[in-house]
Amino acid sequence: MKTYKQPSSVGRFGEFGGMYVSETLMPLLLNLDKSYKKIQKDKKFKKELNDLFKNYVGRPSSLHYAKNLSKYINGPKVYFKRDELNHTGAHKINNCLGQILLAKKMGKTRIIAETGAGQHGVATATVCALFGLPCYIYMGSKDIERQKPNVFRMKLLGATIIPVESGSKSLKDAMNEALRDWIKNVRDTFYIIGSTAGPHPYPKMVRDFQSVIGKEAREQILKVEKKLPDFLIACVGGGSNAMGLFYPFLNDKKVKIIGVEAAGRGAKTEETAATMTSGTPGILHGSYSYVLQDNDGQIKEAHSISAGLDYPGVGPEHSYLKDIKRVKYYGITDKEALEAFQTCSKLEGIIPALEPSHALAYLIKAFKNKHKNKVVILNLCGRGDKDLFTAAKAIGFDADE
Amino acid sequence: MQMNNLDSLPKKKILSLFMTCGFPTLNYSKKIFNEMLSHQPDIIEFGLPFSDPMADGPIIQEANKLALRSKLSTQHSLNLIKYLSKSKNNTSFVIMCYLNTIRKFGLNKFIKNIKNIVDGIIIVDLPFEEESAIKNSLSKNNIHLIKLISPMTDKKRSQKLLKNSKGFIYYISATGITGSNKLDYKEINKNVKSIKKMSSVPVLVGFGIKSKKDVIDIFKKTNADGVIIGSALIQKYFDLKMDFNKYLKGLKKFIKEVKV
Ligand SMILES: Cc1ncc(COP(=O)(O)O)c(C=O)c1O
Repeated sequence: MKTYKQPSSVGRFGEFGGMYVSETLMPLLLNLDKSYKKIQKDKKFKKELNDLFKNYVGRPSSLHYAKNLSKYINGPKVYFKRDELNHTGAHKINNCLGQILLAKKMGKTRIIAETGAGQHGVATATVCALFGLPCYIYMGSKDIERQKPNVFRMKLLGATIIPVESGSKSLKDAMNEALRDWIKNVRDTFYIIGSTAGPHPYPKMVRDFQSVIGKEAREQILKVEKKLPDFLIACVGGGSNAMGLFYPFLNDKKVKIIGVEAAGRGAKTEETAATMTSGTPGILHGSYSYVLQDNDGQIKEAHSISAGLDYPGVGPEHSYLKDIKRVKYYGITDKEALEAFQTCSKLEGIIPALEPSHALAYLIKAFKNKHKNKVVILNLCGRGDKDLFTAAKAIGFDADE
Repeated sequence: MQMNNLDSLPKKKILSLFMTCGFPTLNYSKKIFNEMLSHQPDIIEFGLPFSDPMADGPIIQEANKLALRSKLSTQHSLNLIKYLSKSKNNTSFVIMCYLNTIRKFGLNKFIKNIKNIVDGIIIVDLPFEEESAIKNSLSKNNIHLIKLISPMTDKKRSQKLLKNSKGFIYYISATGITGSNKLDYKEINKNVKSIKKMSSVPVLVGFGIKSKKDVIDIFKKTNADGVIIGSALIQKYFDLKMDFNKYLKGLKKFIKEVKV
C-alpha cells in the first residue's frame, strides 16, 4: 500500500468529503482552512496545545491491560486506551482545545457547538470557560432529556444551551441549527464541530487533533508488547474517537481495524444509526459521505440508545476507509451495548459510556474464544456517568429495591 | 433549442416569487402556484423540499416539513412544475434545491424532467468549487446555473464566480438564513454596485424582503435590478391561521402590492 495521504487539498477522501455549503459559509471555510494550515506549522501553537494536553487534560491517557475482560472473552489480550480518564470524561476535549486555540488566533470572540451526548458540549463549555469566551451549545430536546447531568454541567460552566425542537430533536438537528447560527453570525463566531464530520477542513482538522490518541497508543503498546497491536476497535458516531485511534496506524498493513456503529434496534430496521451498514452515499452537513436516506435523498432519523452515536451520517474519511476496505464496520444493537456496559463495569471496575460500550459489545461477541495470543486496543473513549439514568431505565434498575 | 426566458428578463424592477413545492399539500400547492402565475411575475422559484434545509430559516423549514409530511416526492414536484409550465408564458421558471435531491434523483433523469420547462437552477449548497460537472450538463440543455453572492464573498472570489454567469445573480442581502430581518441598504448598494461592475446579467436581491415597503426601498436605495420574496409569501399562511381560502386571497393581495 502506498503511504496514506488523505484528504486532498480540497478536502476529498477519495470521492468523499468536500465542501457543500452555501456561499455565505464558503469564504469562512476557506479562511478556516488557510488558518489551520498556518497554525500547523506554528511551534508556539504546538507547545501550547501539548502543555494543555498534559496539564489540563491529563495526557497521556493510560493504556490499561483489561485482564479480567480478556479472561472472560478467552481470546486476545485486550488493552483499553483510557481516554475516559481525560478531564471532562471523554476524548472530545482533545479536539476542543485545538479548535479554541485556533479560534483565538483567528480573533473570533464567540463560540458555538452542537452536541448529542453532551460530551462535546461539556468539552466546548469547558474550554470556553478556560479561555473566557461566550459559549452557545445547540442540543436536541430529546438529548437534553436523556443527558441531564451534562446539561447541568454545561450550565455550571457558563454556557448557554439552546434546545433544538426540529426534526428528530437530536444530534443531526442540533448541527443544522448550529450551522444556521454560523450563517447568521459569520463575522465573530467560531463553530467548534465535535466530530470528523461536516465540510472540509473539519474532518481533517478534528482527526488531526484527535490523533494524539493513536500516537500515544502506538508508543505505549510498543513499549509493553514490543509489537504493534493485531486489532484496533473503536465506536463510530461521526467518527472522531475512531479516527483519532486509527489514523496513526493506517500505514501498518498488519493492524486490522474495526469500527463499530450503533445499530439501534437492528441494522435492518428503521430504528438504526448504522450509517455505513445501512446507508448510501449522499450529502449531509456539507460533506459527501454515507448517510441514512430514502429514495428521494431525504435524510432519515437515526435511532440509538447512545445519544453520541444517534446520527444518520458519518465522517467522510470513514466512508473512504470502508470503500478501500482498510477498515471494517459492524453494527451493534442497543441491547448488546447495554449488556457490554454492565459486563465491563463488573469485570474491570470501569463504567464505560454507552458509545464505547458498542465497541466493547462487538469485541465480546466477535472475539469470544477466538484470536488467542493476539493483541487488541479498544478505545475506551468516554465514561458512563452521563448515561447512568438512561442505562438504569433501560435495564430496569430501581434504586429503592 | 428552445428559448430561455431568463435571457429576456426586463431591465429593471424584476420580481421573483419563491414558493415551496407541495406546501402545504400537493393539491393546495397547485392552487397557490396557479395564483402566483396568474400575476405573471418575472420569475417563479420552485423550492424542492428537503429534510435538512441548512440555509433556510424557520418559515421555509416548516413549509418543507409540511410538504414532506404529505409524502411529496421529487417526482411529484417535477410533475407539478411541468403541469404549471402550460401557463408559463414569459415567466421564468427556476428551481431552488439542495444538491442531495438532484444527486439521489440522478442528474440526467432530473434534466430530462425539466428540459425546456425550467430556465434556471439554484443549488443552495453547491459552491463554485464543486459545480463544474453539473454546470456543464445543465448548460448543454440550456438551463442556467444561478450564482449566489453573499456579503462574505470578497472581490477576488466574486470575479471567479461571476465569470460567464447567466440568467441572474442572486445577491444574499443579509448574512443569515432565509427570512432573516435586517436589511442594510448601504451595504446592499455597495455590493450590488460592485457585482454589476463584474457582470452584465441582472442582480436580484433576496433574503429578508418582507413587504411592499422593503421592495420600494430596495429599488429606491440600491442599484438592484430585482427582488426575491419567499418566506414572506409563506408566512402569510401561518398568519392567517392556516385557513387556505383566506390564504389564497391574502396571497393575491400581497403579490399585487409587491408588483411595484
Ligand atoms: C464518549 C463518546 N464516544 C463517542 C462519541 C461519538 O463521537 P465520535 O464518533 O466522533 O467519536 C461521543 C459523542 O458524543 C461520545 O461522547
